[in-house]
Amino acid sequence: MRLETRKLLDKAFSGLGLIAIAVMGIALLLILTPIVWRGSKAFVFKGTIEHRRVMLEQFDRGNPDKFTREYTEITAARAPIYKMMEDFEAETIAQISSMESQMDAKKDRAKELKTAARALKSDGKADEADQLEAEEDRLKDEAKELKSRIKEFKTARTEPYDALHEAIRELLGPMPGQRTPVLLRQQYGQTRWDRTLVKLHEVLYTEEWDYSNADAMGVLVETPRVKQFKGTRLEPFFQYLEEHIEEMMRPKTTFYWQFITDKSKDSHIFGGIWPEVLGTIYLTLGAMIFAIPMGVIAAIYLCEYAKEGRVISFLRICISTLAGVPSIVFGLFGLAFFLNTIQVSDSKSVLAGSLTLSLLVLPTIIRSSEEAILAVPRAYKEAALGLGAGRWHTVMTVILPAALPGILTGIVISMGRAAGETAPIIFTAAVSVGAPLKIWETLSQPTPALPWNIYNLCTEHEAVDEIRHVQYGMVFTLVAIVLLLNLFAILMRARISKKLRG
Amino acid sequence: MSEKANTSLIMSDAASRNQRIANLLGRAFLFLITSLSTFAVFFIFYFILKDAIPFFKLEGFKEFFTTARWYPSGSPAEFGALPIFLGTGLVTLGAILVAVPLGIAASVCLSDLLPFHIRQIVKPVIEILAAIPSVAYGFFALVVFAPLLQNHGGAILSAGVWIVLGPILALIVVVSGDLTLDKLRGKISPKAGAAIVFPILGTLAIALLYSLSSRLSGVEISSGTNALNVSIILGIMALPTVVSVSEDALQAAGRELREGSYALGATRAETIIKTIIPASISGILAAVILGVMRAIGETMVVWMASGNAARIPEPIYNVLQPIRTLTATIAGDMGEADHVTGSSRFHVLFAMAFCLLAFSFIMNLASEIIVKRSRKKLGK
Repeated sequence: MRLETRKLLDKAFSGLGLIAIAVMGIALLLILTPIVWRGSKAFVFKGTIEHRRVMLEQFDRGNPDKFTREYTEITAARAPIYKMMEDFEAETIAQISSMESQMDAKKDRAKELKTAARALKSDGKADEADQLEAEEDRLKDEAKELKSRIKEFKTARTEPYDALHEAIRELLGPMPGQRTPVLLRQQYGQTRWDRTLVKLHEVLYTEEWDYSNADAMGVLVETPRVKQFKGTRLEPFFQYLEEHIEEMMRPKTTFYWQFITDKSKDSHIFGGIWPEVLGTIYLTLGAMIFAIPMGVIAAIYLCEYAKEGRVISFLRICISTLAGVPSIVFGLFGLAFFLNTIQVSDSKSVLAGSLTLSLLVLPTIIRSSEEAILAVPRAYKEAALGLGAGRWHTVMTVILPAALPGILTGIVISMGRAAGETAPIIFTAAVSVGAPLKIWETLSQPTPALPWNIYNLCTEHEAVDEIRHVQYGMVFTLVAIVLLLNLFAILMRARISKKLRG
Repeated sequence: MSEKANTSLIMSDAASRNQRIANLLGRAFLFLITSLSTFAVFFIFYFILKDAIPFFKLEGFKEFFTTARWYPSGSPAEFGALPIFLGTGLVTLGAILVAVPLGIAASVCLSDLLPFHIRQIVKPVIEILAAIPSVAYGFFALVVFAPLLQNHGGAILSAGVWIVLGPILALIVVVSGDLTLDKLRGKISPKAGAAIVFPILGTLAIALLYSLSSRLSGVEISSGTNALNVSIILGIMALPTVVSVSEDALQAAGRELREGSYALGATRAETIIKTIIPASISGILAAVILGVMRAIGETMVVWMASGNAARIPEPIYNVLQPIRTLTATIAGDMGEADHVTGSSRFHVLFAMAFCLLAFSFIMNLASEIIVKRSRKKLGK
């Protein structure tokens, strides 16, 4: 090969490496951007009047007087559309009743003719009677036709109207004068402006999937709903709604930091994620309570006391095996051992979950503590031993303090790991819905936790699309917790390495 | 020195004995705590096996490992886990195809190419990739990536072809063009030869890329939750493990080897490919094994985004179809099986967990042995 080519290849090789690094960075960005961007919208968003209503009625937050004033204005802005709906209902009823009275008139006339025809027959005037009967049949047919037309008219009017009614209720909340629905989610309209616009679109257009082309996937066809109400009192309704939606909902930029500290209402349709956050904190701290002493002591033993030999290398193999056990297997083990065998609690509980998680992070803590202890300069130890301190004394007063930042780094990283693990807590600690636990209840009660509820909300919740913002908010919170812990660890490590370099 | 001073400095026999005993007890206590993690490993094996054995007693091995019908809730229940094993294998293979080339290239870059201060920036990126919880990856795969794949599948696939094959083909064109020029030397002038050879090869490469990408851009993906989605995400998740372990291995190859190679006139690329990578191949192998373990043991991503269909894809390498893995089956079926603790439906999940456990144990042992041997070879 020529020298130029070799040089070119060398550069190309460097290029490939740089591409790999770039791909990694881009992947990280691509994954974090939607989570951070849409996650932050759970906290900062345009809240409508309905959001303020939920806050006031469910969380006792906000100024009632100001709200009442605003709400009167909004009721005024909404009044025309409810009026139109009422008019439409009245109009429909009037039309139906006029058609019905027509039908009744024809029926009555037919009956009259029948009796008249019978009278004529008994008089022996068969010709005239036949004429009358023919007339009667015609009227009867007309009445029947009218009846079927009424039926048609009813379905043509009521079915779209019911759909519209439902869509409006979802958009603005229950109609004035309606009985308060039982479900909390039906008591309020859309609380967020972005969801309001989606729901507004659903009011304005009807959606249908067209599968007529069997080769391709279904195509979404949208038709303006106004077509269904051509020529009725509701015809101007849609334009009015579209033009005045802002006055009806009053979107206002809201900073809802209480998203983290609020309980959820009606399975996360309203409110925040406090039970999940608290559960995650309990589980993480619980895991640390068990894992830190065990891990640090094991590291001290392995570094300071153990003589390399068969037993120790066996121990090390066990530790690395423990590190390699898939997390779901930890979950099964926690179920089979902590819950089914030694029964630390009757049902799933934070305690069982913490114990399981502590086994999961144990190898990480042992390894990082070992590294930290080994990084303590030998001179420290020798100086302490030379001063006559015993081995235990040396460890406690010289080595551990010197290694503490390093050990803490490992602990913080494994806290992040424990906070984010889902598989081990599925069978041991997590439930989908629950109240925040008191500290003593953690011994016997299961808890909601961020990782599990993220899974649960985005796969099993009945209104997955409605609460995307809650899901993103949860993911954002979890990722923020974990990354902050890791950032802390990274900074701490940078300080240690600076110190060690002098 | 007087007798009196001597006795006050030396401990009495009793005190010395007491201290020795205390010391011994302390050590025993420390050893006990340390071996707790050992007990944990044994306990895990024991308790998983204890609940797995009843399944094999009830249903035998043959159906579980060789048949493809998975209907644990049917009557009679069928426990053919072959599609699930294949699904696990498929996504793991996919993840490795993503993670290993990228990871090795990145680790080479980190250990040999980048200056120190840039490395300090890249390292946290890797750490963050490793730290993001698996459920967040799963959420991304299900909520962001799956709809993208479903709606713009063809475009994404053909862009992927350009990104992956583009640089590789460019490299091949350069090398093969140069080799042909070398052969033609003396027959025509190098400049004229270059003017002929490179355009021909370049057009060929671009034509190949174009035909491939246009064929792929017509593909419609019926479901975004499929093996491809999961493979890519798992690959990204396994990347940090592969990068950091193989970077350690490359670093361990040492300065002397590199300098020796440079002294013989090799370029950096040649040094790395011909000297450093062969010298640290065992460490890189260990990195790959750890990456495999990460991909196989991952639960949340596959549970959320693999589609969870216990079918063998047709044809078997079709990554655009939904699949199901061991971990996802355990996580998903336990909720239903839990009510009937003791049935084969419950125990089959432990049987699967045992397969996972055994596999990861063997892999782990293999990587331990490989690393140990490589250390011996490098004389450390």
